[in-house]
Amino acid sequence: MKRGIGIFSALLFLTLVLLPAPPAVAQCQLGVPAIKIGVQGAASGPHADYGRQIEMGATMALEEINAAGGILGCKIEIKFMDDENKAATGVKNARYLVTEWGAHFMVGTDSSGVAMAMGPVLAELKRIHFFTHAATHRLTEELVADKKIKEIVRVSVPVYQDAIVAALIFKDRPEIKRWATIGADYEYGVVAWNMFKETLKRYRPDVEFVGAAWAPFLTLDFSPHVSAVMAQKPDAIFSTPWAGEAVMLIRQALIQGVFDQIQAWWQAMGGSVDVLEGISSEVQRDRFKGKLWATARYIHNWPDTPENRAWVERFKKRWVRLPNYSAETTYSSLFIIKAAVEKSRSLDTAKVIEGLKGMQIKNPGGLRVFRSEDQQFVYNVPAGRVVMDPKYPIPVLGDLKIFDAKDYYRHPPFTPVAATK
Amino acid sequence: MDSVLFQGLIGLSMAMYLWLISAGLTIIFGVLRIVNFAHGSLYMVGAYLAFTFYGLLGWPFWLAIVLSLLGTGLLGFVMERGFLRRIYGIEEAYQLLLTFGFILILDDLVKIVWGGVFKIPQIPAFLDGAWPVFGRPFPVYNTFIIGIGVLVAVGLWALFEKTWWGRTVRATASDREMANAIGINVPRVFSGVFVFGSMLAALGGALGTPVRVVAPGIGATMIIQAFIITVIGGLGNLKGAFVSSLIVGILSAYGTLFFPVFELFFIFVIMAVVLLVRPQGLFAG
Repeated sequence: MKRGIGIFSALLFLTLVLLPAPPAVAQCQLGVPAIKIGVQGAASGPHADYGRQIEMGATMALEEINAAGGILGCKIEIKFMDDENKAATGVKNARYLVTEWGAHFMVGTDSSGVAMAMGPVLAELKRIHFFTHAATHRLTEELVADKKIKEIVRVSVPVYQDAIVAALIFKDRPEIKRWATIGADYEYGVVAWNMFKETLKRYRPDVEFVGAAWAPFLTLDFSPHVSAVMAQKPDAIFSTPWAGEAVMLIRQALIQGVFDQIQAWWQAMGGSVDVLEGISSEVQRDRFKGKLWATARYIHNWPDTPENRAWVERFKKRWVRLPNYSAETTYSSLFIIKAAVEKSRSLDTAKVIEGLKGMQIKNPGGLRVFRSEDQQFVYNVPAGRVVMDPKYPIPVLGDLKIFDAKDYYRHPPFTPVAATK
Repeated sequence: MDSVLFQGLIGLSMAMYLWLISAGLTIIFGVLRIVNFAHGSLYMVGAYLAFTFYGLLGWPFWLAIVLSLLGTGLLGFVMERGFLRRIYGIEEAYQLLLTFGFILILDDLVKIVWGGVFKIPQIPAFLDGAWPVFGRPFPVYNTFIIGIGVLVAVGLWALFEKTWWGRTVRATASDREMANAIGINVPRVFSGVFVFGSMLAALGGALGTPVRVVAPGIGATMIIQAFIITVIGGLGNLKGAFVSSLIVGILSAYGTLFFPVFELFFIFVIMAVVLLVRPQGLFAG
């Protein structure tokens, strides 16, 4: 009889304690209801497509990661916010996402101006932000390598790509001697132009920098800027306004006949899908005469790997658009978070940073290698001429110039680049 | 020298956009005594409507402009009859709140209807290209804008100086009680003027559609410039708005040529200098 009670108690114990556990569903091993990732980008105004692409990339990564069981059994949640391309809004959003919404990580941010304002705040909030577009070298060289703000990680290639790759391409064009810039009038435009000048001058002491016109955000007409630099009779233009402003600028330059007067136009970030869509009909009619060069932080037609092709197909199926680079960099950031959290088995900032050390991860854009000194992921993106390719409905970068990443990334210890006009 | 003249001509075309938007703003202020901060948003709505008819539906550019003016005029009518009319008698702070509210509402509304992403349709074929002026290619489109701007200036002068409606409006502007007493239907004049001003803003927006950018938020950029121009010219003074549009448009273009580093605040420097010398604006009083 006693033995019967013992068996009964054991069964009761099993029933009460073990059975209520959810059958077969993996539990979050990090003890949180979900891993929360705050996402930010510019989602209004002429730059709005970037924020939209950031959101699409993050959403797609979320769907894929959660469908495959999440991160260590934890589902992820995202919340997207529009930073309006304004520093104050970006900072305000970051504070809200961390302190009120409870973000464990943040990703996104388009503008270098916003990124530089957020940097010190991230240290205070003790949350890592994975930057997926903001490009000023100072974000990683100054704030991370120098000031040791460990909460900044950059997944996208910085301004090295816009400035140093341009110098590497055009140093071999001896007929181009006179350069002028139409610059975005803030951090990014200024450092891009200065870095380009410094690099090109090293290879080509004979080049001259003959003019500069600076346009703030929300410039609605670049005609005075175009005519001002064209008055100096440059051989080539180095241009840094981006997104809708780049489309407007290039088209306003076209109607001033600029492409009949110059040898080359370098459009930083002109390989962005929204820009290529915006100038599609002009490219089809060959109105740039093959003189329009552009770069991007990822292009969907490179690298030509099965992984990238498959990803682009999935993206097109999901969103009926071609992916822009801010989509790829943000998508990849979520997988970087996944790898780092799985390695460190923690959501703690310091431990996740440890988890990032030595990381080499294959993303749609190719192999990304984490560099600890400045917390910059190093990977490769080519630049090229804007051309039509029968395989795609919109122009793509063709005639690709591919350099080894080590040849155009700057390396620690960093020497300062002029940050003023 | 040629490049200086060329830059001036580019500046003149910039001035004409400024003129179209500040003309409406200053007329509305002159008659209704309302500083309509949502005037830039009417410019934006005009641009979106023109984009819809011309860029999306592929209708002729001229027709798209006319429809955009009518649509924005209708919006102006609703704003005046439904909202502004209720606050004429009370403090200016309420005007500011109400019209600022319209900026936010219209910005969000265009985002809901057209999405947040910018739009730039093709340039109509007959306005594409350039011709040589001072030895350099000057865009046909900018020439067209200069032409329209001058036409509007002449048209407005004729309208206010030579027509019965113009005289009625001027009478209402100078003394609304007396105008009422002599049998002018003042509320109707107010509506008419507001609708007319809205259509001028829409004209600026619609004309810019193929070469500028259509995006949420452009209204806020435009209203700052238009406000500066009307202040420089003297609030409510149409001639002042025209002259100060020319000054700001052309000097800004020269600023870009000669002092590119100061691009950001050049327009504010012009305003500060004018207000130091003539605090009431160039043509007021």
